[in-house]
Amino acid sequence: MSEAAIEIKDLRVDYGDFVAVQDISLRIPYGEVFGLVGPNGAGKTSTFKVLTTLMEPTYGEVSVAGFDIFESAEEARRIMAYMPDLAPVPADLKLWEFLDFYADTHRLGGRRARRERVDECLRIVNLFEKREAWCKELSRGQTQRLVLAKTLLHRPKVLVLDEPASGLDPLSRREMRIALQALAQEGATVLVSSHILSELAEMCSSLCVMNQGRLLASGTAEEVRRELGRAERHLSAVTFGDPEALASWLRETAGVTDLKVEGSKVGFQFAGGDVDQEGLLVGLVNAGLKVRSFEEESSSFEDILVRVAEGNREV
Amino acid sequence: MNEVKRKGPLPAWMIWANPIVRRYCRSRLRPASFGVMLLLTILVAGFFFFVAREVSSRPGLAVSDAARMPLIPLLVIQGIILFGLGTGQTAAGITTEADEGVIDYQRLAPMTPLAKVVGFLFGLPIREWLLFLATLPFTIYSVWKGGVPVSGILQLYAVFVMAAILYHLTGLLAGSVMKNRRWAFLTSTGMVLLLYTIIPQAAKFGLVYLKYVTIYPVFNEVYPYLLPQPFTEGALIYETIIPPARFFGLNLPQYIFTLISQGVLSFAMITMLWRRWRKVDCHLLGKVGATGLFAWLQVMLLGNALPLIASGDLFPSRELNRRFGRIINPQKASWIPEPWEATVMVGLYGVLTLACLWWLTFVISSDNQGQVRGWRRARKFGKTKLPVLSDAATSVPWTLAMAVMGAVGWFIFANALTESYWYPELSLLAVTPVAMFLLLACGGLGLSALLESVGRKVTGLVAIFVGVLPLMLGVIFAVSGDDLLAPAVWLGGICPVSWPVYGAGVFLSEEGMPRDVARALPNAFWFWQGSVVLTMIWLLTKLREARKGISERSKEL
Repeated sequence: MSEAAIEIKDLRVDYGDFVAVQDISLRIPYGEVFGLVGPNGAGKTSTFKVLTTLMEPTYGEVSVAGFDIFESAEEARRIMAYMPDLAPVPADLKLWEFLDFYADTHRLGGRRARRERVDECLRIVNLFEKREAWCKELSRGQTQRLVLAKTLLHRPKVLVLDEPASGLDPLSRREMRIALQALAQEGATVLVSSHILSELAEMCSSLCVMNQGRLLASGTAEEVRRELGRAERHLSAVTFGDPEALASWLRETAGVTDLKVEGSKVGFQFAGGDVDQEGLLVGLVNAGLKVRSFEEESSSFEDILVRVAEGNREV
Repeated sequence: MNEVKRKGPLPAWMIWANPIVRRYCRSRLRPASFGVMLLLTILVAGFFFFVAREVSSRPGLAVSDAARMPLIPLLVIQGIILFGLGTGQTAAGITTEADEGVIDYQRLAPMTPLAKVVGFLFGLPIREWLLFLATLPFTIYSVWKGGVPVSGILQLYAVFVMAAILYHLTGLLAGSVMKNRRWAFLTSTGMVLLLYTIIPQAAKFGLVYLKYVTIYPVFNEVYPYLLPQPFTEGALIYETIIPPARFFGLNLPQYIFTLISQGVLSFAMITMLWRRWRKVDCHLLGKVGATGLFAWLQVMLLGNALPLIASGDLFPSRELNRRFGRIINPQKASWIPEPWEATVMVGLYGVLTLACLWWLTFVISSDNQGQVRGWRRARKFGKTKLPVLSDAATSVPWTLAMAVMGAVGWFIFANALTESYWYPELSLLAVTPVAMFLLLACGGLGLSALLESVGRKVTGLVAIFVGVLPLMLGVIFAVSGDDLLAPAVWLGGICPVSWPVYGAGVFLSEEGMPRDVARALPNAFWFWQGSVVLTMIWLLTKLREARKGISERSKEL
């Protein structure tokens, strides 16, 4: 397999007769924040477990930074970090001890060098003041941040994060997003999973949607939307002026359907890409409709996942 | 991206630099809790040290003799700390790691599997090792003041440390498969307790090898020197009549043979743990490894037992006769073993062989899920058969090979007993080797067929209904009255554990048994063996169908 940060070829994971991951192939270049999204049971965690050498697949080839993870698991582990969903921490260690232990397993220099790196990572996740606290005393969100600090310790080239934002408050989510994007800019590859597609769309340079062990679509958020047959976006515009005037202007615009007026807000479906959406905004402003805000509703992206999940139930 | 300076991979032997050991040094040696334990240990050790010394110095013993008195109590305390608490802590510690979920982090740590095994082996019981070390100054002082031969004490403590490592490895293995930390602690501590109470009794009934998993052989050799000198002489006379390790007549020093025996078992356990750390869902042992371990156990059982037959040292009554013979029967000049001793020893040998066969068959048999995965992997690579040595491949031929080896070993043992000077009137039935093979093969293959065709849960249920219930009912019948002895024998004969015992009675002698039992035993044995052979053929046919079904199903999915 040629060089890529992560390369998965024909990966399959079975639990008895249940097929958790069915022959998926992925190629993720360096410096990318790649999102893996799908409903429960889509096969995300199984894929992550194989990728991080925690599970042996039924078959398939997986390489991380050029290392075949089955042949060179130790080398792959050296350059990779994994943050599991509902990340656990040991009850009998303090925060700095927990991180120092993993810094030690990665052999990050002597005691002083390790301590400096531990403090640095604790500062990144805003837990430095709690360095002497016991891991068991942390809240759910703080635990997530601590484990994120653990994954950053050895400056991994590849980060695999399973639902990292769960339990985080909005501020922590934003900080995490910024931290991950900064890491990607430095050349690291981040593979992150979530149930919340809009969250990934904001964070990721590209993503893929999984369902029932299969890869349904992959590419940029726009490409995924198109591939899944959901060209319409759910947009809304709020005006200082007359909402009816705004609604009637929109009614006459090509691609606009399902108009709903709620006070000063007008919601509608719009069939078009990013450029078309930009053109629509320019048109609204030029028409003097006093637009106060113009945005895509997050539910527009979530609709895709809802439809995917509903498809599972029908099956 | 900034690269962090990293050193190369950590060699497994650098225990002091092992991150897992350091991690447990932090968590288990915190001043508050460790300090209390240390104080308690020193107090208890000091108490026994001073009490033993002071009490023994009163009757007018020399200073050097009084100094020897605390050595055995100290050894017991050290055993409780390192064997009992250390093993329990190791098992509970690894279960806790799995329970908390942090074990996955350890799996991802870029250390070699061997370094991880070593880390947990010495890290989890680090407190117990230090507590043990804290008691050593008392021992060293006693050895020095008591003039105890240094070579003897070094031999004893070399075996002591080796045994501790073996038990901790067992704890680590038990903890890796158990879910509840309390149960893991209790089970592994209980196992050590059994090893020093029940198992040595089995060693007296022909299973001499079992005593080499304890420190008893070396202790028995050294303990005369741990006593005050007036007692040493008497103990030494007794010591000279204790049979040495005459493994196939090699006459190796006890400590060397104990170290070899425990070393090989430790190696086998390290291999199992290493395999688990390398691949979380693989079998504890490969098929060749399991068969090799079975062969080794057979060689050890035979090698230790056979050389002791001619001298009579193998027989339990021999030691009793030596100790109490003159008291019990002053008239009887010579000692002759009873026929029932041979029967019991042959029966126990068969039970142990069957138990080993079951354990190793269990280790190398794949359930449905494992087979499906194996088949799909094989098909992906264009293979039409599962690789013979893969985990998913059937364990049947390997179980059969072990059954052959077991039957050969068992027959050699039984034959050596009946051919010996002691039993001129005893001879084995002509069908004995075939019956022994069928008995072991049916037991082993039955387990293999059940595990591979219906899985562990159903196998567990079968074990309860076939292995436990009939035996319990048989015991209830037997104790209800003499009239029910024959039905009890018939019921008990269903249980596979009783097959070797019944077999021994049939092959050798029914002497000493109640008349009803002696009459029912051969009939029950042959009837159930016939039924079991037929059941086995049926189970193997079912297994063949099940495996074929799994193979076909793996094509569809």
